[in-house]
Amino acid sequence: MLRRRRQAALVASLLALLLLGGAAAASALTSQPIRYNHNVHVVAYKMDCRFCHSSAMKTASAGIPSVEKCMICHRVIAVDHPEIKKIAQYWKEKKPIPWNRVTELPDYTYFPHFRMVNAGIACLTCHPGMDKVDVAVQEQEFTMGFCLKCHKARGVSIECWSCHI
Amino acid sequence: MLDRRDFLKLGGATAFAALFGGCDRIPKKIIPFVIPPENTALGESLWYASACRQCPAGCGIVVRVSEGRAKKIEGNPLHPVNRGKLCARGQAGLQALYHPERIGRPLKLSGPRGSGKFAETSWEEALSILLTGLKKLQAAAPASLLMLTEPMRGHRNLVAARFMRAFGSPHRIAWDPFGQDALLAANEAVFGIRDVPEYDIANARYLLSFSGDFLETGISPVHYGRAYGQMRQSRPTVRGKFVHFGPRLSMTAANADVFLPIAPGSEGAAALGIAHVMVREKLTPSAAAAASLWAAGLSRMTPEAVGKATGLLPSDIEAVAHEFAGNAPGIAMAGDGAAGCTNGTYNLAGAALLNALAGNVGRQGGISFPNRLAAFSRFGADAALLLPPPESGFASVRDSVEKMRKGTYRMALLSGSTNPAFSLPAPLKFGEALLSVPQVVSFASFLDETASLSDLVLPVPTFLEEWGDDIAPAGHAGDALSMLQPVVDPFRDTRQMPDILIAAARELGGAVAAALPWAGFRECLEKSYAGMGVNLEAARRDGGVFPGKTPAPRTAPKAQRPSLPVAAEAEFEGDPARYPLFLHVYPSIAHSDGRGANLSWLQELPDPVTTAVWRNWVEVNPKTAETLGLADGDGVVVASPFGSMEAFVVVHPATAPGVVALPLGQGHTRYGTNAANRGGNPFSLLPVKADRGSGAPARQSTRVSLAKAKLAGSLVRTVNVEGQWKYENIL
Repeated sequence: MLRRRRQAALVASLLALLLLGGAAAASALTSQPIRYNHNVHVVAYKMDCRFCHSSAMKTASAGIPSVEKCMICHRVIAVDHPEIKKIAQYWKEKKPIPWNRVTELPDYTYFPHFRMVNAGIACLTCHPGMDKVDVAVQEQEFTMGFCLKCHKARGVSIECWSCHI
Repeated sequence: MLDRRDFLKLGGATAFAALFGGCDRIPKKIIPFVIPPENTALGESLWYASACRQCPAGCGIVVRVSEGRAKKIEGNPLHPVNRGKLCARGQAGLQALYHPERIGRPLKLSGPRGSGKFAETSWEEALSILLTGLKKLQAAAPASLLMLTEPMRGHRNLVAARFMRAFGSPHRIAWDPFGQDALLAANEAVFGIRDVPEYDIANARYLLSFSGDFLETGISPVHYGRAYGQMRQSRPTVRGKFVHFGPRLSMTAANADVFLPIAPGSEGAAALGIAHVMVREKLTPSAAAAASLWAAGLSRMTPEAVGKATGLLPSDIEAVAHEFAGNAPGIAMAGDGAAGCTNGTYNLAGAALLNALAGNVGRQGGISFPNRLAAFSRFGADAALLLPPPESGFASVRDSVEKMRKGTYRMALLSGSTNPAFSLPAPLKFGEALLSVPQVVSFASFLDETASLSDLVLPVPTFLEEWGDDIAPAGHAGDALSMLQPVVDPFRDTRQMPDILIAAARELGGAVAAALPWAGFRECLEKSYAGMGVNLEAARRDGGVFPGKTPAPRTAPKAQRPSLPVAAEAEFEGDPARYPLFLHVYPSIAHSDGRGANLSWLQELPDPVTTAVWRNWVEVNPKTAETLGLADGDGVVVASPFGSMEAFVVVHPATAPGVVALPLGQGHTRYGTNAANRGGNPFSLLPVKADRGSGAPARQSTRVSLAKAKLAGSLVRTVNVEGQWKYENIL
């Protein structure tokens, strides 16, 4: 009896530790200085992803919008919302918003956004679920298999140095 | 209770959880712009064309800018002066931009004047101090305002000149330790034209240089360096020959086919010795000109007589004369080492005479005098303000020091990188005199020796953050003009000096406001160039306007019948018994007059001759060193009748015996951590003497003595990669 209770205590403490550690890491990834809602912007207001991520058509990086770009609309829209007030404060202090990175590819890969976007690949192909969430999440793991599956299906280059340059 | 086994299990589990629970990705930050710079593309570079202001040569540059930050400066391939090339000093312009010691806010004196103690203040307060001072002066005595700057060109000079003229003060002085006064005076005497000539080195077959270190310093080192490469290598059957005369083996001299060491200040005699042989042997195209020169006294400049004065072998003079005359077109040029003597004009006139005698004026591969102001004729009398003659202003500065002491000035406006408190001979006591001016306002990016003496410092942007225009003093055939534009947003809270003057003029009202009727300097430039029919957008894209059609050069009225330069001997201060060695000072390739000393890239640039970095040295001939008991790397005190300084000995076989050579540029007491306390300042050894013909500062005019001394630290010289260099092996 005593032994079983001890075992239960062990398992409970182990679980608690794992949960704590995991939760801490998860909250660091999903928490952002501003709780930006992708769903509202993309679905409710039908905004094109490229309005904010405007260098996706031009450069390798899709880009994070400048504070100025947020303020183009939020000077007049939803100014009383607590999250918008935070943006206004950054703008007032002329400070950039320190976003936490969610999606990241390893350094040994080269992923030119503009090639995919200009070839007509929808953003949601690689960033599924982004239209349903508020704070950005990475639902799709970017393994080489994931990339190659699509490259093969479309008959585009699968040479090593297309991506590993 | 826990037994040992459970304790271990729990411990293991905790370690596992701690390790793998925390083994998730640490979030990285993505920091977007608050306001993105125009045309920014992430990860993509933009190239902006502008012009370099690290030295007065006026090279065109293109700057690679990525995400709003300047990353690299290159030469502008379209610019006629440098055609895509750029020197180390130009490259180091980035360090000035990002320098941690740059002045970022207006500074107000917070201790006694000259203490270098300043406190930051707002632009509102700083400008109100400036305006209160100017308004008081305007009402009481406008002529007691002094403006002392570096030589400026283009519209910023126009703005400064109009401001001072309308304010009512004649005291506008531009100081440049390496002004071309002697060259201007020599060309006026020989050719009847007071201008800097264009040397077509690229197409020359023979090049004579008299202490002219044109590859490293001088009027336009990048332009001449490129042309020199063409002279040597761009023609399939001709490799131009280069002979260098001078008291020191500079980098330029080391490039020559023949280096002929001569006594300091005897460059003019050497040139006339060559002229003598050319006339005697009838090697000149114009017999009439030759005859009149011969009668005027050239007959006395025999190779033997010249050999005695210069230390040259008469046979060398004969040989060079024959080669120079037989390999037309050729060029004779003389530079700072010859111009900086008390007979500088004579030395330079000697070289100019050789060009006239050989018939090299106005021909390809010779020298010419382009009409560089042709494009600005609509400015009338103001046109000359856009490209003022590159004079040193030494006489005016000396006069102004007197006036400071007498209390003529009640306010001084200072700007520019020539730093008079550092680069004027110490006996002049410029700094002391400046302290007696009641109010001194500096426009500066760094707290150098001069700015430290002021009571208000207004921070100005670096050339990479400026609007402006420029006309290079040499290196183009006519009206090529450069456009400066900010390649990045200003890093600090700075304002351009012309902008401050225009704003001040608006507040002062009346004639001053009418003279500067623009909202700002950018508007001044744009209105002015729009009036000239310049397509500003294209000009800024290309870095300037570079016309393909060359305007006709100016004619040199006396080129056919040059007069013989009046012979003059170089004078040297100091009793030869007490000060046995001639002092030869030369601008450092990295720091010039000292303006580059605050940039660590330039400090760690090895000197091309000695490979020394970060400190000061004195080049001594091995025989002289042996007599004085000095060895390579020893510390010495170099003393002249006017001052003394410390330096390390570099024993160098190609320094003439009896001469010691010191690079200028080090020896700062202020100007930031990279510059301060790196040996002595050679300007402190110099007398207040001028070239008799032109009034230029005569730096090569004193003798010195060397005394062994124990100095802290040592001279660092980088590894020599060209193989064995020990002088014992080549002596």
